[in-house]
Amino acid sequence: MGLFKKSYIKNKSKTNNPSKENISQNIDKNIIKNEQILKDIFQNCSDIMYRKITIHGQNKLLLIYVDGMVDVDIIISNILKPLMYEGLPQGLGSIDSVAQMCEEKHLSALQIKKLSDFGDITDHILKGNLAILADKETTALVVDVKKFETRSIDEPANEPSLRGSRESFTESLRTNTTMLRRIIVTPKLKIESTTIGNLTQTEIAVAYIEGTVSMTVLNKIRERLDRIQTDRILESGNIEEFIEETHFSPFPQLLNSERPDVVASSLLEGRVAILTNGSPSTLIAPMTFWAGLQAPDDYHQRFIFVSLVRWIRYVFTIISVLLPSLYIALTNFHPEMIPPVLMLNIAILRESAPFPTVIEVLMMEIVFEGLQEAGIRLPKQIGPLVSIVGALVIGEAAVNAGIISAPVVIIVSTAGIASFIIPRYSFGFPMRMLRFPLLLLSGIFGLFGIAIGIIVIIIHLIHLNPFGAPYLYPVTPFNKRDFKDVWIRWPRKLVKKGGDKA
Amino acid sequence: MKRTTNLCIAFLFLSVTTGCWNLEEPDQLSFVTGAGLDLTEDGKLEASYLVVLPASLGSGQISGGENKNSFQVMSATGKNVSDAMVNVQSKLSRKVFSGHRDIFLVGQRLAEHGMGKTIDPFLRIPKSEMRSMIYVVKNGKPKDVFSIVPFFDRFITTSLSDEQKAIGLKPYLAREFVVDVLSEGKQPLVPVVGLNPSGHYSYRGSGIFNKADNVKLVGFLNMKETAYARWITNDLTRVTLTSSIPKEDGSISLTLHSLDQNIHVQKIDEQLQITVQLSGKGTIIENTTNLDPTKQKDLQLIQDELNQKNQKLVHKIIKKVQEEYKMDIFGFGEQVHQQSPQQWKSLKQNWTETFSQLNVSVKVDLQCTNLGQTDSSIYP
Repeated sequence: MGLFKKSYIKNKSKTNNPSKENISQNIDKNIIKNEQILKDIFQNCSDIMYRKITIHGQNKLLLIYVDGMVDVDIIISNILKPLMYEGLPQGLGSIDSVAQMCEEKHLSALQIKKLSDFGDITDHILKGNLAILADKETTALVVDVKKFETRSIDEPANEPSLRGSRESFTESLRTNTTMLRRIIVTPKLKIESTTIGNLTQTEIAVAYIEGTVSMTVLNKIRERLDRIQTDRILESGNIEEFIEETHFSPFPQLLNSERPDVVASSLLEGRVAILTNGSPSTLIAPMTFWAGLQAPDDYHQRFIFVSLVRWIRYVFTIISVLLPSLYIALTNFHPEMIPPVLMLNIAILRESAPFPTVIEVLMMEIVFEGLQEAGIRLPKQIGPLVSIVGALVIGEAAVNAGIISAPVVIIVSTAGIASFIIPRYSFGFPMRMLRFPLLLLSGIFGLFGIAIGIIVIIIHLIHLNPFGAPYLYPVTPFNKRDFKDVWIRWPRKLVKKGGDKA
Repeated sequence: MKRTTNLCIAFLFLSVTTGCWNLEEPDQLSFVTGAGLDLTEDGKLEASYLVVLPASLGSGQISGGENKNSFQVMSATGKNVSDAMVNVQSKLSRKVFSGHRDIFLVGQRLAEHGMGKTIDPFLRIPKSEMRSMIYVVKNGKPKDVFSIVPFFDRFITTSLSDEQKAIGLKPYLAREFVVDVLSEGKQPLVPVVGLNPSGHYSYRGSGIFNKADNVKLVGFLNMKETAYARWITNDLTRVTLTSSIPKEDGSISLTLHSLDQNIHVQKIDEQLQITVQLSGKGTIIENTTNLDPTKQKDLQLIQDELNQKNQKLVHKIIKKVQEEYKMDIFGFGEQVHQQSPQQWKSLKQNWTETFSQLNVSVKVDLQCTNLGQTDSSIYP
């Protein structure tokens, strides 16, 4: 085992960065040799295109690009046409190279770079730039002619809201930063870029508003992003895993959202957003417990309504975590706490149940989680079918067949529905997960066990301090002004300036 | 991290394997909605329970079958409370669970024998419900009351616990009984039910107990007397009073909704003087006189008449209790204790005698409101 592990690591470090090995060399004067080197690098890459042109019968040029990632129209009209039809002006004069000539006179493109290292050139080609190599010259010209198919801006499918913008982030980082810029029109909005992932070369943008942002949080994020050593970043979730404070917490330490308005509002509150190329979900740090229970349009609706809804959310969050275990504790340990008539009715329905209540609830919980998971993965056409079958099989048939007692179905489905009221999907996970340990505790110790469980959860939450910002803020540590916002969403006019929520 | 995990696992195994497991499924319990204590003719203690049968309750809901009872009355005798309870348990396959006991009945024989020493261990059991209502069964045994098949409810105990509220009394719970027994200046006044020849129960007023003598039943008050006695102790929420008015050859019924009382303790010439003030507001619900309450003069006449009649009645009841039973069921002693604590110290030793010679004056102040609802008769 140990041996295998070792060899695996060795192997990994060897293949750490194949694209940069053997190619950190400069361009040769001979264009044929250069072409051969590039063809070696891009061996078996059928999507790399080479185009040779000759101007005036003497100046040989080589154009290299990735098919499908460049704008062919621009290459033809802005690069090929001027070079081939107009050619080089007679009497070069002060211009001493084709590259300089192209850069200054002939190519009407916005971003042009001069590079001489094969490693850099390959990187740029792979990112959708056009490389132009000239004979007898040691610099290559890299022109930005990127154009590739992207998804258009859609409605946010996972975070619907009644009011506010219907835009959602896309997979393209540039589109996403544009959307932020359009909302926050100030030079104080900073967007810092880095690239992470040796093989994926994923572009990451860290957005924040200068002056409002907490510098400790920002510095921690910068430092943690710098430390990431990996081959691949495919989704913002990969970054989340690398920079979160502790892995052993059920609670998410970074919020994720695919809504530009949510991200913008978080930025205005002084948080930091991390955008990842290729993923519409943007990370927001630091997260607090209460932020997980706030919906995107909380600050767009009227405050009375929103305050009421917030209370309902808190109540349902507690229900979703505690209801199954409370049911067990009350029926099995403290039957005197249930109103007599209700207790008798439960006793009537329990009469024909074959399993202990703890097992019943556990079984139902597992089936419910299974149904939920099945519902996500199913094609849209089959989705409703599963819910109907699930409801019928679990709700009706299982009770009629005498496998499960009816109250357990009510309890488990109520708790399940209650967990869906949590606006952030990732924040619903801990609530669903914590049900199980609490269930076991209540099955062993009754209400006492639940109390112990809650105490452990609260201690954990108080200890949680992602990016130096306490998770339960503003409840602990207490802050009177922000505390108000937890219970009641105060009308903005009444909130004193400075803590202006966007 | 590893240490924490190991600790957690150890903790889990320890907690499961110690056998400290008081989990009880609802189908391992026999729910008791009523419990009763009485003496048999040969002096043994008899405990009886109304045990719910959930299985037959459930089948009754689905198939509508009435051949099976939804409850069963279990009783057994024993030398003392624990012995009787063990004997009842031996007849049941499920553990007796008294957490949902609605009713606690005491047979007349036991009450007259004195129930202090018996009822104490019964109410002291940790799982015993202190919020169950306490009744004395007149001319009968608790198990006879439990056997009654009720009209409305599934069990007679539910009917009994709703009974007091229906007649306008505040519920008298076992807890209040204990408080009354422990207090220095009040004697318990426990509601009484009796069996009718028709096989149903009826509310019969209340019983007066002497806690100095092992909480022994010394006498009964009828329904009307109980209502006034409860009014004095502020345990009445609603009452209907009917007074005939001889001058007008008719009667007037008044339902009082907001009742109030005030007991004032004064000391005149070294003599305690207690003034009981009863007041209430209510609606005239029946008027067979020719008086028109919407007229100020007639209304005054009605109110004066009612006040005088009731004043006399209350005075009579207090006198009766003072002379016949000598038990301070009105809580005058408590009032003395509160209003002149210094004097109470010397009075409390001989309170029972002092009470029977107390000088009590009564003032009743009734007001008729909502006069438009029932005024004079439509027949002239």
